[in-house]
Parts: sequence; structure tokens; C-alpha cells
Amino acid sequence: MKKNEKSPVESIDALMAALREQGYFADRRLATAVFLALRLQRPLLLEGEPGVGKTALAQALSAVLARELIRLQCYDGMEQREALYEWNYAAQLLHLRAAELRSGTGVEALEQELYQARYLVRRPLLQALQAPAPGAVLLIDEVDRADEPFEAFLLEYLGEYQVSIPELGVIRAQLPPVTLLTSNRTRDLHDAVRRRCLYHWLDYPERERELAIVQAKVPEAGKALTEQIANFVARLRSRPFADAFERTPGIAESVEWAKALVALDALVIDPELVHETAGILFKQREDVAALTPERLQQLLAPQA
Amino acid sequence: MSAATEVQRANWWGDARSGKLPANLLGFGRALRRAGVPVDAERLALAQQSLVLTGMAKEDVAAALEAVLVSREQDLAVFRELFAAYFRDPKLAQQLLGQLLPRSPEAARPRHGPRVQEALSAIRAAGQQGEARDETRLDAAMSASERRRLQHADFEQLSASEYRLVQQLVRDIRLPLPSYRSRRSELHVSGTRVHWPASLKAAARSGGELAQLRWLRRKQRPMPWLALVDVSGSMERYVRLLLAFLHQASSPRLHPGLRRHVYSMGTSLRELNSAFALADPDAMLARIDAEIDDFGGGTRLGECLAQLHRQAARHLVGRRTLVLLVSDGLDTGEPQLLERELQWLGRHSARMVWLNPLLRFDGYAPLARGAAMLHRHTHAMLAVHNLESLQQLAQHLARLLQAGDHHR
Repeated sequence: MKKNEKSPVESIDALMAALREQGYFADRRLATAVFLALRLQRPLLLEGEPGVGKTALAQALSAVLARELIRLQCYDGMEQREALYEWNYAAQLLHLRAAELRSGTGVEALEQELYQARYLVRRPLLQALQAPAPGAVLLIDEVDRADEPFEAFLLEYLGEYQVSIPELGVIRAQLPPVTLLTSNRTRDLHDAVRRRCLYHWLDYPERERELAIVQAKVPEAGKALTEQIANFVARLRSRPFADAFERTPGIAESVEWAKALVALDALVIDPELVHETAGILFKQREDVAALTPERLQQLLAPQA
Repeated sequence: MSAATEVQRANWWGDARSGKLPANLLGFGRALRRAGVPVDAERLALAQQSLVLTGMAKEDVAAALEAVLVSREQDLAVFRELFAAYFRDPKLAQQLLGQLLPRSPEAARPRHGPRVQEALSAIRAAGQQGEARDETRLDAAMSASERRRLQHADFEQLSASEYRLVQQLVRDIRLPLPSYRSRRSELHVSGTRVHWPASLKAAARSGGELAQLRWLRRKQRPMPWLALVDVSGSMERYVRLLLAFLHQASSPRLHPGLRRHVYSMGTSLRELNSAFALADPDAMLARIDAEIDDFGGGTRLGECLAQLHRQAARHLVGRRTLVLLVSDGLDTGEPQLLERELQWLGRHSARMVWLNPLLRFDGYAPLARGAAMLHRHTHAMLAVHNLESLQQLAQHLARLLQAGDHHR
């Protein structure tokens, strides 16, 4: 377990400060989980509702550690050749044709020429193993959308960080990548993958953290407006109102909304303004329709 | 560790003296295991390593242990409760766990508390009953006309012994499930896509000529299905038989790779997946009895579907799910809610099938409000009131799926 001398990963506070510098406001639990994932060299499984900042964490972390971000977007039916490597068949066929013109090449020599490293197309998982110093941050996004065979393969990969390509031999990672897996919980992951990883459930941020995030991302909005935005969104996610909506807005939506309100030169949030800009917060027709005038009044009423 | 942190640790650990950390951690791990959170020795060792890294502030220890020992969101609440209880007062934790009947090897969650005791005793009792029932063998001397009569007899009109007999027969009905072409491929001579690696390997052996091509075709996978079972009073006799039928007909032995989910709709929605995971149908029925407490009450279909929408919409990903609504359509909930939720369900499923026991009446037409709505929004209404209709269920399903989307 080598530790980089200039690494910001010396303590949880240092990590939180470094992430904050990159514009990602993590709470202490998340920072502890990331810290442990880095120091124990285990992958970290992040679960949570969409729009809560899972992918953003990977981007911030790669900036903090000065490592390249390699992203693998999973989908149903994804195979090894899309995730790990593939041979460049077209180039190999051309090579075979060219080799025809040369006489006297034995079959063994031909096979060896065919399977050289230059005909190997590297996909994200292999790129992560062979990334140059200081290594890579590997983001395996939406791993719940991939299916069970892919999970079994992933388990093997995450266990050893080495792959064996039959024609080329075993490729080991000199610098094991920092791996983050995200899941939207559309499907329950297999227990073996969960056991391999550390786990963290990302919840929507509380009002203070949301305030800090919006202030950092949209500094043009005044303090008063940002507070109103944070209050509104926090109430929207709280119990009596959250049931009325199918998908409550995440952090990305509240930041976009702040930018929109700044563009509209708004100083105070009133029901009409919310109604006009509802499409930024809610992406479904039923949710926009559920924003009735009575509900808006309740949401905007000053809290006790 | 410095003296300050030693003192800090001693303070919030309570009366645990320094050096007892591994033992405390081990005890906590075992408490978690008894509460149903899967924790093994490797994770505990990892937890110890992580505590060395994070230091001993209480918040950090909680976060570190959570990251290492918890791996599912359902376990989070249990973990936090147990952590608070254990590290404030170990005796409190013992009391909490003492209510959990730790004698059985399968653990249960604390939030089920006293119901777990009932469930475990019910399962044990049912296990003994099941042995007795197995002795009701099919009488080999039963005549052909008797058998025919049982095939066509409505479940409601069976006597108690006939009912038991039919329960056995129902388990033998095969239900070939519809399948879809999945995104995985397999080597097969009748495939439509060339498998380049295998073809090239063959080519290199024959001097560069592609003498033989290897083909891939897409694998067939059983369609995932979601069953919503109405457990109101009018459905009681049918529900047990249907559940036994569904459970056996779609068991993982017969259909590997099948994803099935079952929910009960009464006054509220209940999940029955854990009961369905049991292999023995008697144990499954006993567990369901224990878990559902609104068996035989009224039904509020709209509210239950709304609850499904909120909590379990993730089972409907991909528009491939076959939704089976087992109900008689007699609904006591809000009609507009039902309409909305049925529309939503129809948009997100491959086919919605209404299995209606009231089709036992010859002149039945869906006139009741809830029934009319179900009839409008589902793709087909099928009968399930006797053994013969169950046997024909498979044919109807197959035909339904081949037909296009021209119902609406």
C-alpha cells in the first residue's frame, strides 16, 4: 500500500477540504467511506436516487487525486468485449490477406503475428489497469443495469485487478485503480459484489449542504435568493410533499434552477415564477401538474 | 495513540477499558449477524483495519463501520439502531436481540419484533402439518369420472378434503412461460451474427482462409413477471390455490434465470417475495399467512397500485414485465386513482393480464366500476376458477403475447 507523499488523503478532514476545493461538498460519512476506500484499496459502491451526486463524486475525486477518470457506462447485455478488450478484426483480416502474398510463413508464426498488442482494442476496464502513473479512477456507472453474467465477471476483476488475455498472457495492474461503482437500485446486486466493496448510501443533502453547493456553483445568485432556493427544495423533499411527486429534484436540478432564476433576474420566489420554471425541477408531466396552487402556497409559506 | 485520544475513547466506549476493542467489535459483529445483517470474519478484520485508519471519534467510527459492515440500504436502519444501542449500553442491545428468538439459524430483523416470533412458530407448526398432509395421497382407485369432475369443479364449491386434494394437483400443472430474446448471445449453427473471434481462430489454422464461419444467436430468457394478488374476503379460496400454482409453476428449478415478484393487495400493498423464495409451498403459504394481516378484508386497488408505483417501480424496468392482476374487480378505493395507476402500469409493462375468478359465472360481464376499469386497461381477462382453466392459462398467455398491441 504505497502512499503518495503529496496526497491529500492523509485524513478525513484533508479529503473533505480537497473535495470542497473541487466544488464537491461531501458530508463526513461520505468522506469517511471514500477515505477508507482509498486507504484500504477497496472499491466503493455508491447507491442512491438519481441526481444525488454519485458521478460528480468520481469527477471530483479524480481531480483531487490528479488521476485520469475512466468511465464505463453499463447497460443490459454488456459483454466482455465492450468492457474489457476486443481484437481489431478488420485489421487482422487485412494482415491475413497481406500475409498470403508472403510465402513460407508457418501457421504458428502467422498466429503470433495476428495477436499482437497493436491489434488489441482496449476498453475501459483494461485501460484502467494499464493507466500510466499515478493510475486511474475507474467509474463503473449504473452497474445495476448490467446483468448477472457481467457481475460475475466484474467480481473476478475487482478481486485481483488482473486479466488474462489468452493470446497475450496475464496483464496485471501496476497501480490498482481507485474504483467507484454506482447503482440506481433498479435491480438488487449480487451479494458477492457487495461483499467485495465498501458501501455508502447517498441521500439528498440537508438544507445547509444544499445551500453551500448552490452558493459555490452559482455565485451570482444573491445570498437571499440562494436561501430561498435551499428552503424551497428542502421542503419539496420532505415528507408531506415528497409523496405527491414521482421524482423529487436532485442537486443537479436545484443548481440548474438557481441558474435559471439568475437568468430571469428574480429576487424573490413567488408561485408564478415557480410555475413558469417548473420544467427545470420536474421532468414529468404528472409532477408538474401536481404542483397545484394550494401546494405551492404551502411550500412557500414561511416556516415556523 | 496519544493520551488524549485514549481518554476520548474510554469516555464514549463507556466502561470498556482500552485493549477491549477487538472483543467489542466482535460482539457487535455477532449482534449484527443475529439481526440479519450479513457480516463475516473477513469484514470484521477489515473493520478493525479501518478503525486504525480513522481514529476513534464516535462519528468516524460509526461511519467507518457502516461503510465496511453494511452492504444494503435495508440494513442501514438496523445498523444505526444497533450501533446506538450497543455502544451506549450493551445490555440494551442484549434485550433487543433477546426478542428475536436467536435459536433458529435464519435470523430476522428487529423491526418485525414480536411478529417474527409468531412467524417462526407458524413455520414450525406448518412444517409439522405439511408432513401430515403429504400422507393424503392421490387415491389410485379414483375413477376417471371423479377426476374429470375435479378438473372442472369450481374451487369455491370443493369440500375440505377435495380442496386439499386439489391443492396437491395444482402443483403439478406445468406453465411454460413466455420468453424474450435477451441481449446475450450463444454459439449456434442457426445464428444470424458472425462470431469473429472463433471464425478467425479457425481461419488462422487454415492458412488465412475463412473456411468456416461460426455463428451467434440471441439467447431466450423467460419474461419477468409481476403478480399482484387481491387478498380480499371474496377471493380467499382462490388466492391460496393460485399462489401455490404460481409458486410451483415458476420455481427456479424449472425456469432458471426467471425474475418473479409477488405482491398482495388488500387495504395496503405487501411484499411476498421472501415467502416465494421458500422452496416448500406449504411453508410459503404459512409464511404468507403470518405476514399478511389484512387477509379477508376489503380491497383498495388504487391505493395499492399507487404504493407499488412509489416503492417497487424498479421491477418494471424495460417494458418486458408480464403483469398478472389476480382480482375479482370489487374495489372499495378511489376510482380516479385506480384509473391513473392502471394507465401508468400499462405504459410500463409488456402485457397486463387480469385473472378473474368471477368468470366461473356463465353470464359474467365486468359491470362493477373497478371491474370495468380493469377490463378496459388490461390486455386480456382470463379465467382461473378451476384446474382446467389453469391448464389453459399457458396457452392463453402464449397467444396473448404473440398478438400485437391492438387491444387499445
